[in-house]
Amino acid sequence: MTTRLTRRAFLATGTAASVGLTIRFPLFGAPDAAAAAAFDPSPMLTITPDGLVTVHITKAEMGQGVGTALAQIVAEELEADWKDVRIDYPTANEKYGLMLTGGSWSVNWTFDALSRAGAASRLALVDAAAASWNVPAAECVAERGVVRHLSSGRSLSYGEIVKRVPITKTFSEDDLKKIALKKPADYRVVGKWTPRLDIPDKVTGKAKFGIDTFLPNMVYAKVAYPPTREGATRTAVDDSAAKRVKGYVATVALPDLVAVVATSYEAAVKARDALKVTWDPGPNASVSTESIFAKFSQAKDDPALQSWHEVGDVKTAMGSAAKRHEATYMTDYVAHMQMEPMNCVASFKDGVFDVYTGSQFQTFAVGTLAAVLKTDAKNIRLHQHYLGGGFGRRLEPDIMVETALIAREVKRPVKLIRSREEDLRRDFYRSATLQVVRAALGADGKPVAWDNTLVASHPGRRWGPDFVDKKGLDQFALNGADHVYAIPNQIVRAIPVETGISVGYVRAVAPNYTFFAVETFMDELAKLAGVDPLQYRLSLLGDAPRLARVLKLAAERANWGAPLPPNTGRGLACVSAQEKKTPTWTASVVQARVDPASGNVQVEKITCAVDCGIVVNPDGARSQIEGSLLFGVSNALKERGTVANGALVQSNFHDYQVLRMNEVPEIEVHLVESTEYPTGLGEPGTTTVAPALSNAIFAATGARVRQVPLLPDRVLAALRAKA
Amino acid sequence: MATLLINGKSRTVDADPDTPLLWVIRERLQLTGTKFGCGMAQCGACTVHLDGQPVRSCQTTVAQAAGKKITTIEGLHPEGRHPVQLAWVAEQVPQCGYCQSGQIMSAAALLAKNPNPSDAQIVDAMSGNICRCATYPRIKRAIKRAAQQRG
Repeated sequence: MTTRLTRRAFLATGTAASVGLTIRFPLFGAPDAAAAAAFDPSPMLTITPDGLVTVHITKAEMGQGVGTALAQIVAEELEADWKDVRIDYPTANEKYGLMLTGGSWSVNWTFDALSRAGAASRLALVDAAAASWNVPAAECVAERGVVRHLSSGRSLSYGEIVKRVPITKTFSEDDLKKIALKKPADYRVVGKWTPRLDIPDKVTGKAKFGIDTFLPNMVYAKVAYPPTREGATRTAVDDSAAKRVKGYVATVALPDLVAVVATSYEAAVKARDALKVTWDPGPNASVSTESIFAKFSQAKDDPALQSWHEVGDVKTAMGSAAKRHEATYMTDYVAHMQMEPMNCVASFKDGVFDVYTGSQFQTFAVGTLAAVLKTDAKNIRLHQHYLGGGFGRRLEPDIMVETALIAREVKRPVKLIRSREEDLRRDFYRSATLQVVRAALGADGKPVAWDNTLVASHPGRRWGPDFVDKKGLDQFALNGADHVYAIPNQIVRAIPVETGISVGYVRAVAPNYTFFAVETFMDELAKLAGVDPLQYRLSLLGDAPRLARVLKLAAERANWGAPLPPNTGRGLACVSAQEKKTPTWTASVVQARVDPASGNVQVEKITCAVDCGIVVNPDGARSQIEGSLLFGVSNALKERGTVANGALVQSNFHDYQVLRMNEVPEIEVHLVESTEYPTGLGEPGTTTVAPALSNAIFAATGARVRQVPLLPDRVLAALRAKA
Repeated sequence: MATLLINGKSRTVDADPDTPLLWVIRERLQLTGTKFGCGMAQCGACTVHLDGQPVRSCQTTVAQAAGKKITTIEGLHPEGRHPVQLAWVAEQVPQCGYCQSGQIMSAAALLAKNPNPSDAQIVDAMSGNICRCATYPRIKRAIKRAAQQRG
């Protein structure tokens, strides 16, 4: 899939009153974040004659409250009255540019562009009103959706202007850049408590998710999935028994897809279960957790390892150092387990595919669908819905491809809902990883050399050449290993390994495992140097004063250093997630109690301090931080995907357990007040939990657990190793 | 054919007696507030009330539900202003929102039985409902708020 890179001038045009004012402006691009980053013009807001301001949200709403936050940004500079602001989630279209939601990027990528769009719209409205009164625009002000001429007292609401007055002011890209934006001290919408616009419908059952779609004459499909995650081929299909199921409609047997279609979900399940499909399981039939880690262990010494991040001369520094340390960290596969199983409704009529689902990456989905269905992208209409959890799962278009293919065959609208078992077995997991970190300490105890070898599968390789660098490395499989500690000599080497188990992006992505290694290892170095872990880190954060500040804040609020009961400890971690170039400075102190008999770990409290720059929606920000921390607790304590016979072993919430209410610790969040450009909040908190918890276990017991999840048997093994 | 009493209305549906109530509610009657999450009573997204008791509709058959009063999120309050729903808005609980109908139905059933639950009782009643966004601290706060406002 490729996306065209275009830039067009900003254009504000007053149109016929019935149509409203549509402001078009370029999206703030993602600076070499994904190779697919486009920079297309986007109609992002509409003001209608009734005075309503509708902000078109092209980011997926999957719980972040992104629609409310983005609308606040527009409303701030537009000087709209918040009660007049609405949001919608438009059908995918090239005019919106890159439609991608992930990476905690949404506010960071759009804050400037949306601010300028709002400001330009305000200026155009003021200009129009002033012209209609034949007065200079400079004598007019816009406030709460009304333009006033100060000396005469005349006023026109935005709706009236749109209805009655020609709006002619246009802006070039340069004009846009020159607009003086508000100072944070003058904000009255951004940073203020604003209830989320999507919440009322989410407490009444009215909110429409993809799974809530119905079309006339719709049928239900179930797919017969192969026994292994990758590499199986179908050798025969016998649908004679399926045909006898009441409600059976059709069998669809395509080269890479076998499905049954029936008049109800239950009938489709029965008919699919009655299908006799013969599979050749392919080359991955004996792939297991053990075989994968054995492969990883070999790969860590592979001469094909590539340097990804390099500073100074590690080899020389390592050789001459006073003390050296090495540790190996491993993490298991993690599944998304978003609450809404993957599903889609699709219809095919007159050459056009209408696809109804919740997508985090519409640009990729439309491109993929067009390629698979061999049609022009304009024939794909992807209708966006609320996402019943995204966490990266809905970046993938797999369910849409299946549904569209089936719909094309049966020539009726098709609804495809995966069972939870199918959802889990067909997931794109966070890769299992193996990291070997070595360091050398100078005479002062500080690291002089740092060497990290990172073995993982890289999701970008499956997505295509646009998603890896020239060395074939996916930066989203490595981010975080390039930490911000001042160490004069560093190298991070990486090797992507194919395992037969499909990997993808799971909330907080690589920094989940990279910071687990970095921050646990940093604790180990502090111990080796005989320095308190807090002081040790602070001594290395001279280049990252904002991180030092949140680290100190979290430690202070968590009573770092105060005595605790036996087998209870505090551990900390601080990160520059989600990416070093757009960091949300985040530090957590985890307090945990270890039962030395069982190895059970109870997380008692997390104290988290965050500096994300300007906070757009403070309560939404807290909500995201709380959720991201608890997602981290779930990952750190419980979630372990294992592999046997080329597929995930686990099948549902009973054997792939996620955090429930009875395991929730106390959470304390401190947001640093800041006027810096905003970054993101959906993920950084997650990445602090596993290392801080591992460090807390060490503080409580002296046992070092280097494998996530931090399962009781691993804690017990570490306790035994210590003794 | 089966006749079901849902949200005060009698509805006749063409479904086998062993059909999970969930699929009848969602896909036949298009009362989509009730959600499918796991299909094995592990997550609670499909929670509805059967004669006032919270049940997992994915593990309740049409035959088991026949003759009983079924209440879904749509029928909890005519204007969506049940104290639990109001508390959910006041505490800004939902993130993605997908599990929240089930959470609200579990919480409403808890408060109907126990108007002033302790922390432990809340945790006990709610630990069968998974929220992958982990809105649990806010769910707990909202239940306490609803309890206070009812009391």
